[in-house]
Amino acid sequence: MASIYFIVLKRFILFILLQGLLFNSFDLFGSFDPHIALVFILTFPIKINKINFMIISFCFGLCLDLFSNSLGLNTAAYLTAAFSRSYILSFIFGSFFDPLGLKLIKNYISESSFSQKLLYLLSIILVHHFVLFFLEAFSFKFITLIIYKTLASSLLSLIFCTTIIYIMIKNEK
Amino acid sequence: MQQIIDYIIRKKDVVVYLILLLFSFLLIINSNYFHKSKILLFSNNITNYTFDKLSFFNEYFELQKINSILNEENLFLKSQLEKIVNKDFIDSLENVSFKYKNAKVISNNLSSFKNHLVINKGLKHGLKNEMGIVSSKGIVGIINRTSKNYSSAMSVLNIDTKINAKIKRSSYFGTLEWDGISNRHLLLNDIPETADIKVGDSIITGGMSLIFPEGINIGVVSKVINYNKEDNTNLNVVEYSKIQFRENYLNIEVKLHTDMNNLNNVYVIESINREEFNNIKK
Repeated sequence: MASIYFIVLKRFILFILLQGLLFNSFDLFGSFDPHIALVFILTFPIKINKINFMIISFCFGLCLDLFSNSLGLNTAAYLTAAFSRSYILSFIFGSFFDPLGLKLIKNYISESSFSQKLLYLLSIILVHHFVLFFLEAFSFKFITLIIYKTLASSLLSLIFCTTIIYIMIKNEK
Repeated sequence: MQQIIDYIIRKKDVVVYLILLLFSFLLIINSNYFHKSKILLFSNNITNYTFDKLSFFNEYFELQKINSILNEENLFLKSQLEKIVNKDFIDSLENVSFKYKNAKVISNNLSSFKNHLVINKGLKHGLKNEMGIVSSKGIVGIINRTSKNYSSAMSVLNIDTKINAKIKRSSYFGTLEWDGISNRHLLLNDIPETADIKVGDSIITGGMSLIFPEGINIGVVSKVINYNKEDNTNLNVVEYSKIQFRENYLNIEVKLHTDMNNLNNVYVIESINREEFNNIKK
């Protein structure tokens, strides 16, 4: 059990430094940043129970906020992504999903069909981005702009997150 | 009861999620000025609407008083008009640099250190931040936040308000502030000891900013205290301890013309040259 927390801590620090120092200043096509720190939520061990998961991702978002100078925005977004993950997992993987966490997140990604992988990544990314941009704009008036930004950055994040997850799986073998 | 507790235990992850989410919202609202003002505007719109409806009743009972005040003002304005009519040449385009708009006070408090009042006009009627508010007798406050239909203003009885003022007779400039104690009196600071000031002198606005035009009545000097002179001994100990003395400056107490307890019809002053003035100030 302790070794799992050690892995989580390692990823925690790695992704915060990557996102905060490198990817936040990406500014592709003007104003789109890939949120690669979502890989932390996507590949979080299922064995750890949900309440600990949410508290850890709360702290994760809080640390990211310190880098991006927007206290609370990332916190709410990462927390919501963490909360919705188990529902999304059971919805997409169906009977393959076991809440006890005997299977690793690696198995979910490598032993499923292409559409399942894509849906899993995309739905969590969409949830996170929508909450983030909605709280940033804080108004229904800009709803079209929020949706446009959500979709555009989600696509960008999807490409980067997929790449990083495949690198991680390759390295473990 | 048992069932409720069971339900909460079963849904404990949802409860934890909501608590943490609430926490992050608190962080957002407290640290970002934009979000804070947005929330304030939303809640203010609701409370202002109710105040607006309630003020109808108050107005009805005070109709007589308001009438007499308006009559007085009419008389004053008519006498002013007489003076202007006698002049030969007036160009209305060149001389006007301030416009007046009327409004009604719908809520007003005097109890805190930072008193605010709310008037029933807002962005829709062309009001913006940093416009002055006057009543028929004297100054009332400065607008600091506007929503679509309402505006909130710092009243002169607010410890953050600073108003440029001068003495009508001798044209000494000073800053008018409130000490947070009496709601009929303000303090006039930054007037040097050598200035010629007596009790009973009129204080008017100075016209150094574009919030208020020059020459609007504020009040009368009710007390002048000089730190270096010996005649302070007639003050009692309680009064003496309240005053913050600064060397070489006078402590002047000004009695307001406006009765802040009883405000109803007010005028908002809009400066026409404001943008030009701000550009040149940069």
